[in-house]
Amino acid sequence: MIHSDELDFQKNATIIEVGHSYEDFEVGQEFFHHWGRTLNSGDNSLFTTLTLHYNPMYFNAPYARAHGHERLPVNPLLVFNTVLGLSVEDLSERGGPFLGISGCRYHTLVYEGDTVYAISKVLAKRESEKRPNSGIVTWGTRGYNQDDMLVIGFSRTNLVGKRGHVVML
Amino acid sequence: MQLDKLTPRSRYFEDFEVGAVYRHWRGKTVKESDAVTICNMVMNTAQGHFNDEFMKNFPIGESVVFGGVTLSMIIGLAAQDTAQNAIREIGMDNVALKSPTRHGDTLYAYSEVLSKLDTGEQGGGEVRFRHYGVNQAGRLVFRGDRTVLLKKRPQER
Repeated sequence: MIHSDELDFQKNATIIEVGHSYEDFEVGQEFFHHWGRTLNSGDNSLFTTLTLHYNPMYFNAPYARAHGHERLPVNPLLVFNTVLGLSVEDLSERGGPFLGISGCRYHTLVYEGDTVYAISKVLAKRESEKRPNSGIVTWGTRGYNQDDMLVIGFSRTNLVGKRGHVVML
Repeated sequence: MQLDKLTPRSRYFEDFEVGAVYRHWRGKTVKESDAVTICNMVMNTAQGHFNDEFMKNFPIGESVVFGGVTLSMIIGLAAQDTAQNAIREIGMDNVALKSPTRHGDTLYAYSEVLSKLDTGEQGGGEVRFRHYGVNQAGRLVFRGDRTVLLKKRPQER
């Protein structure tokens, strides 16, 4: 049995919101995203095997060494997903389906133990014709390693809700 | 160890013909243990991918698979034939997520050879594929181009 006075704290609680709405984005605006992420060996082998990505370069150390890598390279799709993931709170957490990616290029290889950081710039925004409560925003996102070397760059387009609207499918 | 015996003796740069289309052998049912694990480990904070209660407020009614997971599963399924002999991945273009993947959907991958370029970089050549992802209902969920540097066939000794 739950006594209502035990739940009084809920009445006074303020929701601490995160994320941005369509109106918050201006073309040219830059975001240095939170946290960073050290990609370790467990991340690399788990991601690679769960996605059935059977290139031994990412999970067989002698094989990677025979190809000139002292440490195992991190699966580039894990680098892509992590850099995108780090950008989500600032860019797309308020909803709006992820529509597409263009011009994704892998630059400096990421090795196990390296740390990636994400930075984005607003490239374009326009109102959605089909959905009046939302717009379409394109961001250029770049990932850097701990030595400030560019590891990945891509642009991403999402449907983004206007203030007070969460857009979902 | 004979490291050259770890990957198939086929699917090298020379083995791909522009215009060829393949359906890869395996499918994968994307369980929550796959999709939520990957979504959380890559720091994607959008709760639409891991909070079913929140998603009851929307027509789809439940959390959906992060598009990056759908993309990675399709390329992973295609990796059997298009990445085992990769020297390095170069990039992706024209990626479109066409319809949402729900937890429990089964995905299949197809690949079309768009172009080849004998760059000679690290003794390999570039191949550009168009990968397609289709679900159990035959709906297109993903389409995207991927460029990869593949090894050339080893010379017979």
